[in-house]
Amino acid sequence: MPTTADTVPYLDISASDFAMASEAVRDARDAHWYARTNYGIAVLSYEDVSTLMKSPRMIQGSAKWPQHHGVHDGLFHDWWAKNLLVLEGEDHHRIRRLANPAFSPRKIKALGDRFDELANELIDQWIDSGEVEFVEGFAAPFATRVLCIMLGIDEDEWPTINRLASTVGAALGVNIKAEIQEIDAALEELHRYADQLISDRQQNPKDDFVTRLVDASRDGDSLSDAQLQNLLVLLIFGGMDTTRNQLGLAMQSFIRQPHQWELLASRPEELAEAAVEESLRVNPTTRWVTREVVDTFQHKDLTFHPGDTVHMFTYASGTDPEVFSDPTRINLEAERKPHYAFGGGVHHCLGHFVARSDMQAALPALATRITNLGIVEGGDEWMPDSGNTGPVRLKIAFDKREASETAQG
Amino acid sequence: MKVWVDRNICDNHGQCAIAAPDNFSLDADGVLQYKEDFPDADLEYIEDAMDVCPVQAIFLKGEQ
Repeated sequence: MPTTADTVPYLDISASDFAMASEAVRDARDAHWYARTNYGIAVLSYEDVSTLMKSPRMIQGSAKWPQHHGVHDGLFHDWWAKNLLVLEGEDHHRIRRLANPAFSPRKIKALGDRFDELANELIDQWIDSGEVEFVEGFAAPFATRVLCIMLGIDEDEWPTINRLASTVGAALGVNIKAEIQEIDAALEELHRYADQLISDRQQNPKDDFVTRLVDASRDGDSLSDAQLQNLLVLLIFGGMDTTRNQLGLAMQSFIRQPHQWELLASRPEELAEAAVEESLRVNPTTRWVTREVVDTFQHKDLTFHPGDTVHMFTYASGTDPEVFSDPTRINLEAERKPHYAFGGGVHHCLGHFVARSDMQAALPALATRITNLGIVEGGDEWMPDSGNTGPVRLKIAFDKREASETAQG
Repeated sequence: MKVWVDRNICDNHGQCAIAAPDNFSLDADGVLQYKEDFPDADLEYIEDAMDVCPVQAIFLKGEQ
């Protein structure tokens, strides 16, 4: 039985000029709820991403990522096979149950003031120069030092953590095989950081995040040292690039909409949450989330079969005009449905409360201190707009906001 | 105390069913089902479920 009709749109997601934020993707979404691609099905509409993202008939789709790219052994290969992203069923649930309480939003909220101080400290370093390369001057140090604060690593060590996390992050690129030696070496160093933190908190418990993970127990069960190590490395791996990229993307969106930036500056506390959610909705760093079908099932006009690859397109679903008015633009005062920039279902991003909380500190701190933002000509360079995207460089010119302006709030 | 889920907010991610499987589950259609009542000993797990809910849709209502 044919499962795809000729009328279903086709997207070549490997083409060098393929972009998520494009007419081609929006037209495909307006034509049909999914598209065929050269590598699996792409779910495009909000309604269907919302349903299928959480479907128990699919599992997370990147378990075999290293093998698919020619990496069959080594440290990264072994770490990946055991990390929470690719575990399923009770193996996954058990670790998540033990780890979740450390990520409690109440515990994370307590760090909000510290995140705010950090944002302002970074802004102080360049605010008088009228120009900043935003990735180097804010997004990278902010995202990495947030991790240092969370994990209790000396913040002065952020350049090392940044370098290691970026190197290991390259494992999610298609050049993983060519770079695997550097990736494995960086991962080994991250393992050493993790081991040190674990043994230190086992001997000297503190009122902090790592201690909560080390002490986590339930029904007599607790995380082994190897599981703790794997999880701490996952936090660094999953928490740094994503937050850095998302902050750059948020700036890109707000630079296009100066009125919304001014609105945030005038009501920073009230609109912080909307600023973060709208940035994630219209310009998510995680452009798609991949699933693999495990059971045969029917959804609308399509039969899914075990082994099928299914991509949930977060940008396309977050800007679906069926659900969002003026869909590609930030509106801090609009009531919006939830987006799926953090994925969904059992694999919903573990660190999203941290990411939300730190960005809710960063964006208002920036908005209340700088205005008249513009990208300096030739000063920006971007990763491909496909898998995980964001700025490589983002040089922004701005005016320092006068104290009296922010006082009007 | 009773568990109450705000259905207007709940997005059926099912994280609560991982945290407190005795009280929360997703049915075959992926829709959340839950019990309002729970044994005192399970309060800790109910609180974990409330905390972990990505959209913070779970609440405790009333005093014992």
